[in-house]
Formats: sequence, structure tokens, C-alpha cells
Amino acid sequence: MVEAMKRSVFWSWFWMFIGTLYFILPLISTFLFSLRAKKDVLSFLAYERIFADVNFWRTFGFSLMVGFFTILGSILLVVPTAYWIRLRLPKLRGMIEFLTMLPFVIPAIVLVFGLIRVFSGAPFFLTNTYTGTNVLLVAAYVVLALPYMFRSVDAGLGAIDVRSLTEAAQSLGASWPTILFKVIFPNLRVAILGGAFLTLATVIGEFTMASFLVGIKAFGPYMSLIGQNKTYEASSLTIISFLLTWSFMGLIQLFNRGKSDSALAGAH
Amino acid sequence: MSYLSISNVSKVFGGVVAVEDFNLEVEKGEFISFLGPSGCGKTTTLRMIAGFELPTSGEVVLDGENITYKAPNERNVGMVFQSYALFPNMTVAQNIGFGLQVRKTPADEIQTMVKEMLGLIHLEKHAEKYPYQLSGGQQQRVALARALAINPRVLLLDEPLSALDAKIRVELRQEIRRIQQKMGITTIYVTHDQEEALSLSDRIVVMSQGHMEQVGTPAEIYNRPTTEFVASFVGQLNLLPVSEVDLKNGVCKLNGQLVRFDHSEPRQISDKPRLAIRPEEFQFGQTEGRNLIQGRVEVVMFLGAVVRLRVRIGEVLVSVDLFNERNMTLPRVGDEVMVNFPPHACWIM
Repeated sequence: MVEAMKRSVFWSWFWMFIGTLYFILPLISTFLFSLRAKKDVLSFLAYERIFADVNFWRTFGFSLMVGFFTILGSILLVVPTAYWIRLRLPKLRGMIEFLTMLPFVIPAIVLVFGLIRVFSGAPFFLTNTYTGTNVLLVAAYVVLALPYMFRSVDAGLGAIDVRSLTEAAQSLGASWPTILFKVIFPNLRVAILGGAFLTLATVIGEFTMASFLVGIKAFGPYMSLIGQNKTYEASSLTIISFLLTWSFMGLIQLFNRGKSDSALAGAH
Repeated sequence: MSYLSISNVSKVFGGVVAVEDFNLEVEKGEFISFLGPSGCGKTTTLRMIAGFELPTSGEVVLDGENITYKAPNERNVGMVFQSYALFPNMTVAQNIGFGLQVRKTPADEIQTMVKEMLGLIHLEKHAEKYPYQLSGGQQQRVALARALAINPRVLLLDEPLSALDAKIRVELRQEIRRIQQKMGITTIYVTHDQEEALSLSDRIVVMSQGHMEQVGTPAEIYNRPTTEFVASFVGQLNLLPVSEVDLKNGVCKLNGQLVRFDHSEPRQISDKPRLAIRPEEFQFGQTEGRNLIQGRVEVVMFLGAVVRLRVRIGEVLVSVDLFNERNMTLPRVGDEVMVNFPPHACWIM
């Protein structure tokens, strides 16, 4: 019995080690490669060049801004929709869930061609101006982020008794905006943050839509350009974007842990 | 006109009648319970008073104002839910003060009211706690205080004690009654628990399949049930097949033996008349002026204060409850016994 348990523990660790190697080895290789920008010496020269590049900060700042507006748009679109479906139209939930999954099925290239075609002529001339194109990019990203945001918010709504909370607030005299902003939104904090960070991670690295709509202004096309022209900088950029993405994931974990810790404190 | 008037109210959900022709007049300060099994329409009726459901027909008038189609947030009706429905993101004090905050009441007034409500529910020390830090009973107290803080015209409680354990349930129902009487607030209480309804209410509305079966005081409902449903739903009831029923003189035959019954109230009898009698009306032995029946003990259950027997009389098994006494000799299974019961305690259905 004890022998069997020891064997089971050994194999658990073995497979975990193999799995870790599978994920870590390419990263370590990329990282080591990124340190060889200076001949025969390991250095952070590639990183210094990237951080010294004005375009890095400009494109990163632009994508961050687009990410912010995408998150804002997604929250304003998804939270009231998901809330209303849970509250009044539960039968439509399956259909809406399917619709929000479409960005996974339809290739981004198809989406972006469709957008350019529709919004380049009458009555919408969005692609004729910078602002219009930026608005179109944000709108496209809102669609792209739908699966992440909807699933996250829907799961959050599933964790609270939406109907009773709404009715309790109504019976206390609250109007719909009060219910949404004082009762529903605060209780979806973690779910919204989860969806928001996933959205941001997606927007920061997105290439297809950005390159067709705004070109080199966005971070995705910038990364691609660097990858084509500067070998070591491309590796360092890979590591930087990886760290950025994982930082966002870490933030989600941090917020979730805060929530679960407080829930545990109440479980007595 | 009464304080709350529910007239000819019906509710149909996609062809299914949930409530049909509901009529009730409630006086100010009265405690009314809607009692019935699941799906009888009691919660739907309550939700129509709260405004969460619109009646298919009929009207609800509160304090002279027709509120039938008024939005729930404009009715000033307090509601307590089975699931407590406390706002998880707010502390106890914030939950209680929410309704007042929505009404834009000055902060100092909110503070005073919250303090008063916390005192009323004996949770002064828990003001800054979050709902998840409280027990179920405490959460329901906060929900009650939150509903009362807005000084509602009517307090509605939808099975508020169902999620709590038995001991807390008894404590909290006494608490609810105490607070209701102290504040003199008109209250409608939905429950499927007959003990809760009997112990709390001024009047009970017994409902079945969307219909009102009977409205009356707890004593009337228990002692003078007007329908078979009420008689069997509230308390236990033996229904014994009888023959040769003489309604005029109040006599019939039970298992071939002559039995007298209460014929003071005019009643309609069915094709298969049955004698209705509650288990606690029986006694063992022979007593002058009481009906006497012979039977055989088949089951003996000692329940503490009560000893519940199943006695076979002819073809039927009869429930007999005897109050326990310290020196009582328990009958044994197979014993032939004589059971008696007073004529005024049984009636024909």
C-alpha cells in the first residue's frame, strides 16, 4: 500500500517535471538567445534597444489605450446583456452564448475585411479618418473579446442570486441604474476583472485586425515588424510580451485570491 | 374599506392557472399567513402584492391606492426572501441603510435608523460585518431589519425560515412576531409549515392548486376545517368510511358500530361518506357519553410527549395520539383495545 503510494507520488512528480520542461525550455532558449545581442557576451543589449525605441512605447501606449476602451465598451455591452438574460430571458442564454463564441470560429481576417467593406462607404465612413478607424478597431476588439468577457461575466452572475438581489433592491425602492451600478456591478468585480485582463492580453498582442486597420501604430504589428528585421530584439520582445501577459494573469489570481480568502473567513 | 384589499386576483402563466379568483381583505396591523403545499399559488400571490408579477385579472388596493400595475420600487412594500438576498458587497449597516440611501434620506437619519434596527434585531455588534461573516439566522434578521428600515406599508415574508435549522426557526419566528407586534406592521407571511402559520398568524389563508380553501383564525382552521384538504393539510386527520349516515340526528355506523358525530354545522357529504377525527381526540377505555370502538394495536411509536399508535378498526388503520404520562403503561402490538372519542370532535365529510 505504502509502496504503491510512493510510486504514485513519484510518477506525479515525473509528469509534472516533463510538463514544466515542455513549457519552460523554449522560453529559456528564447531568453538566452535574446541575451546574445553583443558578440561573445551575455547582455541585456536587445532589451535596452527595445526600451530605447520610441516606437515600442508609442505602439504599446496606443494598444494599451485601445485595450482600455475595448474593456470599457465590453463591460457596458456585456454586463447589462448578460444580466438581463439571466434575469428575464434565461431561455436565450444558450443562443447568446453561441453568438459570443463566433469570434473563435470566424477568422479575424474575415472579420476585418467585412468591417472594412461595411464601414468604408455610405452611410458609415469610419475608415476615412484616424478617429473613425480607431473607433472601428475598438469596436472590432469588443467583438473579439466577447467570448472572454461574456463567459467571465456570465459565470460571475451564476455565482450570485441575481433574481433575489434584484427583487430585494427593487422592493427597497431602487431603480434599474441603481440596481446595476450599486448591486450588480460591485458583486461582479472579480468576474469583470478576469474578463478585462483576458481582453487586454488579447488586444495587446493582436495582429490581423490592427495591421489592416491602423498598421504599425499598434503593438501587434510592431512586434511582427521587429521579428522580421531584428533577430535578438524579436526574442527580447517575445519575453517582454510573455511577461506582460503573465503579469495580467497574476493580477487576476491576486484579485481572485483576495475574494476566496474573504469567503473562507466566512465559512465557519 | 380594509387596509389591503386583494380582489378577484388571478394569474395565468402560459395557460397554467397559478392563482384563481383570490379575494382577501386585510386589516392594518394584521398578521396573515398564506399556507399551502408547493405550487399552490401562495408565493405568486405574494409576488403580485410586491409587484414582481402582474395579475392577469383583478386588483390590489393598498391603503386606498390601487397598486395593481405600480412598479415594485414605487410601492413601499418590504420583502424578506427565503435566500436572505443580502447584498454581498455591503456590510450589515449598509444593507440596512440601503433603502433609505435610495430614498436620499440625510446621512444622520440613516445612521439613527440603522442603529435602531440593529437594536431591534440584537445585532448591534455586527454592524460592520459582511453577510458571509454571519450565520443564516443572523442574515435573515438583517434581511428583516433591512425591509423594516424603510417603514414599509406592508411587510411580505416569503418562506423566510425555510433555509434555517429547526431550533433557529422556532427562535426566529418568535422574534418575527415580537417585532411585528411592536411595530404594528401589516404582514403577509408565506409558508408551507402549518406549525409556523398556526403559531404566528392572526388569520391563515389555506391555499391549494391556486384556490383559497379557507380563511380563518388558527383555531378555526384547525378545529373547524371546511374542506377535506384543509382538514388533512393542517394537522393529521383520520378519515374513516362510514355507512347509514343520518345527518339530521348526527349518527352513522362505523365498522358496524353506532357512532354519534357533530351535526351542528350544515355540511355536504360525498357519495362515500367518511367520519373525520383528529388523532389526539382518542382515549383508551370506556367513558360515559363518548363513542366507543374496538380495535387492535398494530404500531406503537414513542415520540416523547406523544405516543402515536396505529389501531386497526375493521378494514382501516386509525392514527391515535396519546399524551405521554410518566406512569403510562404503553400498549403492545397485537393488544385488543377499546378506544373512545367525543361526538363533538368528529364530523362527516
